Amino acid sequence: MKILIIEDEKELSDSIATYLKTEGYRCEFAADFYTAIEKTEQFDYDCIVLDISLPGGSGLEILRQLKADKKMDGVLIISAKNSIDDKVIGLRLGADDYLAKPFHLAELSARIAAIIRRKHFEGTDIIKFEAITIDAKAQTVTINGRSLELTRKEYELLLFFVSNKNRVISKNAIAEHLWGDDLQGNYDFIYTHIKNLRKKLDEADYIKSVYGMGYKFSL
Amino acid sequence: MKLLTKYNQVNIAATVTILLLSGVVFYFFIEAALIHQLDKTLIQEEKEITAFIKENNRLPEPNDSKEEQETYTPAGNQPIYRSFQSVTAHYENNKRERLYRQLEFAVAADGRLYRADVRKSQVETEDVIQLVSKITLAIVILLLAVLFVISRLILNKLWKPFQVTLQQIKAFNVSMKDSVQLPSTTINEFAELIEAVEQMTQKAKKDYQEIKSFTENASHEIQTPLAIIASKIELLSQSDNLKEDQMHTIQSIAETTNRLAKLNQSLILLTKIDNRQFGATTPVDVSRMVLQILYNYEELFLSRSIQIKQQIDPGVKQTMNEALAEILIINLLTNSFRHNVENGSVTVILQDKYLSISNTGNAISTLPELLFERFRKEAVSSESMGLGLSIVKKICDIYHFKVTYQYQNLLHTITIHFS
Repeated sequence: MKILIIEDEKELSDSIATYLKTEGYRCEFAADFYTAIEKTEQFDYDCIVLDISLPGGSGLEILRQLKADKKMDGVLIISAKNSIDDKVIGLRLGADDYLAKPFHLAELSARIAAIIRRKHFEGTDIIKFEAITIDAKAQTVTINGRSLELTRKEYELLLFFVSNKNRVISKNAIAEHLWGDDLQGNYDFIYTHIKNLRKKLDEADYIKSVYGMGYKFSL
Repeated sequence: MKLLTKYNQVNIAATVTILLLSGVVFYFFIEAALIHQLDKTLIQEEKEITAFIKENNRLPEPNDSKEEQETYTPAGNQPIYRSFQSVTAHYENNKRERLYRQLEFAVAADGRLYRADVRKSQVETEDVIQLVSKITLAIVILLLAVLFVISRLILNKLWKPFQVTLQQIKAFNVSMKDSVQLPSTTINEFAELIEAVEQMTQKAKKDYQEIKSFTENASHEIQTPLAIIASKIELLSQSDNLKEDQMHTIQSIAETTNRLAKLNQSLILLTKIDNRQFGATTPVDVSRMVLQILYNYEELFLSRSIQIKQQIDPGVKQTMNEALAEILIINLLTNSFRHNVENGSVTVILQDKYLSISNTGNAISTLPELLFERFRKEAVSSESMGLGLSIVKKICDIYHFKVTYQYQNLLHTITIHFS
């Protein structure tokens, strides 16, 4: 899977690449408008992580260009402006998703995974992790063939874990993934969600509590 | 006291005093002048009498008419001084006394000394003086009336530019979009005032805009470094073999960074609302939106065993920006979650006129009217920024909704009254 990170802050694109590489993605960089245009014209990517304010031009212009060229690359906009206009315009221009800076890498990774899944598995969208099988299209979960009844948020939580397997995910990242970033404050209630999910997963409970930091989904 | 009143007081007092004073002076001058005139005719009489005696060597016939009297009295041993004076006397057989001007002098006839008294009526003079007094009084009254009318009509009109300017200054607000509408005037003082006000308000607005755009830019610029810090912390937390205290430190940095990012986002949002940067307003189906958000947060409330009670009338619509409407409702709901207690409840009522959200919770020590201020927070959940309700207030202000807070029967209720 090939990802293009269009972002002028080298430190940030490095972090993104480091995080994504362990997922098996190959990452390329473009730090300004012209490099970005050049690369998107020459190559195809599974997903493009696109910053809006770039030296040399707007990321929205790159998006326009992509769509004019009928490119099929998935596009995830990351913007520092968190401006609703940017979001609306970006999505209208054909971006697949929008994420405001600062974001959790776990969130970014989950969103990229979702975009790529939507692009590649048009008929079926099955994610497997050991005994767990998630059908992202039908939003159903089975464990060793036995179907599992999950609430909406439990399902989202499981999908988030699977998308970030073998990673330490903070309570903040989980809370914001589930409830959006409007829910400021104490995230202790996350514990209840995790506890319920673990109970339901039973023999396939791969969730581990990482003391003081959050949770990890791994064998 | 009004400037006009004060000015009128002084003005009228001075005018009346001067007029009365001049009336008195006028009175004495005219009296003196008229009497001087009378005295001159009396001297003429005296000359004629003396001439008559010299020629005929006898006294003339005495006269006792209403206007003029001449009497001769033997002088005896008394000395006679020539003198003028005002006296009252009878004429003919009339009982009434009249005022006369009299000249007394000595004449000699038939070898005897007489005291001659020549009198001329002074009544006409008194009439003239009275007339003068009446005219003076009439002028005073007329002048007062004119001054009153002037102050009422003309001065009020003259002060109009000042009044209008004052109104504009009172209504002035640095965050106003349009500039102040000041009147034009030909009066120098007011023109100067208006010019000064114009310059001052423009400068205040410019400074405010500069500070605002600085804050806005600063907030935006902060987002990127924050994103870098957050990403580095997340990478760091993936490291193997972290010691327990290192994990704690990382977690603490992560949480603080998160708080800072949230705070910054809220400030950007507040600035944006202040700047009216949310343009498009559409009829928003509030009922549907509330139901949708409630549905999304259902499990959140459930996680703390908080019961959701809802009475939502269908089809409640408000013309507003959709994103702001969503922020408003989410803020109210998350607020009712954050300040709630285990096994508590939240009640959402939506009707045509209002949206009210009540939740169980601990009593607050903040005064209700301060609740909507920025950075106002209760110690209990200190992780919250205290900006949520001020965002609610800001959004309501834009659409002229009234927000009220009530604490009754252990229930905190925030009600939004739609305009």
